Amino acid sequence: MAKEIAFAALVREHQGLLFKVTSIYTDNETDREDLFQEVVYQLWRSFDSFRNESKISTWIYRVAMNTAITQLKKRKRRPDAIPISESILIHSESGDEDFEERLRMLYKHIERLDVLEKGLMLLLLEGKGYKEIAEITGLSESNVGTRISRIKKKLKTNMIKS
Amino acid sequence: MELEELQSAWTQMSHQLEKQKELTNEIIMEMTKEKYRTKFKAITNFEKAGALVCIASALFIFFNIPKLDTWYLLACGLIAIVFSIVLPILVLGSLKKIQCLDIVNLSYKDALLEYTKSKTKLLKIQRYGIYASFIYLMAFLPAIAKILNGKDLFLEPSTLLWKTIVMAVFLLIIARWGYGHYKRVTSSAEQLIKDLE
Repeated sequence: MAKEIAFAALVREHQGLLFKVTSIYTDNETDREDLFQEVVYQLWRSFDSFRNESKISTWIYRVAMNTAITQLKKRKRRPDAIPISESILIHSESGDEDFEERLRMLYKHIERLDVLEKGLMLLLLEGKGYKEIAEITGLSESNVGTRISRIKKKLKTNMIKS
Repeated sequence: MELEELQSAWTQMSHQLEKQKELTNEIIMEMTKEKYRTKFKAITNFEKAGALVCIASALFIFFNIPKLDTWYLLACGLIAIVFSIVLPILVLGSLKKIQCLDIVNLSYKDALLEYTKSKTKLLKIQRYGIYASFIYLMAFLPAIAKILNGKDLFLEPSTLLWKTIVMAVFLLIIARWGYGHYKRVTSSAEQLIKDLE
């Protein structure tokens, strides 16, 4: 029981992080919820094996992002599914139209990235340094730097086009 | 819109999400248990259903082997049995490999690499499976006709021919569709593997 309480507290504490990771890899609310559940399940499965060798958030990012990869293409958009950009707005309920528009644009740009770029972009947006991004992704720090500058260029081009 | 604006929109969203702690302990544990249950329900996918049909047909031919009374019908029966067992085993093995990816210990790069490689291998097996099914068809038809109707199709070449043509056309359509799908998925997968290695 103590384990369940500790696990639930951990998920509650990091639900914002899980929400963001799952929204990056899905394009509608139904799939996002499904992926969210799958990530929580995978975290529960590996909860015992987590040793404090890395930061808890690093472990959560790794499990969540790796789970998202294995779920790619399994999901199909359902007719009643809410597009992810809309569901984010419902979730954030800010009432700030400018913010909502920027959020829509943000997800539109992220959608155009490939799966590796999405992962890097997520960590970049989360304010992670190259060292931590390298630790989570398994890429070298210099490789992270190169890829991120490539993503920035790509985004810039896309932004000019749109 | 600049990158900095994207970043600030993300940060603003993060702050708002932080304020909302919607999940309770009960919801989280219920979510976990529900997912655990559905893992075992998810057996009814196409590949597994297909494998069951193949194994059932292999068993059916196996138990009716005595009815295949010539060497060539016996050879057809044995070929059909081997194909019905080997192909599903290869497909299910590849699927299992994808599902058993070590998502806890692998880095994002390695998980992506492993997943993409396994996925490509699975598609390759499925693609060869479609081509192999032409051979399977040639063996299965005479064997099943003999078992069900007592007919030796090799003694009725015209019947064997039109039945083979009808099924071959059907298979060809599937093969063409499968090949297009295969090309699209694997070309981007191969690019990703090349990029990561």
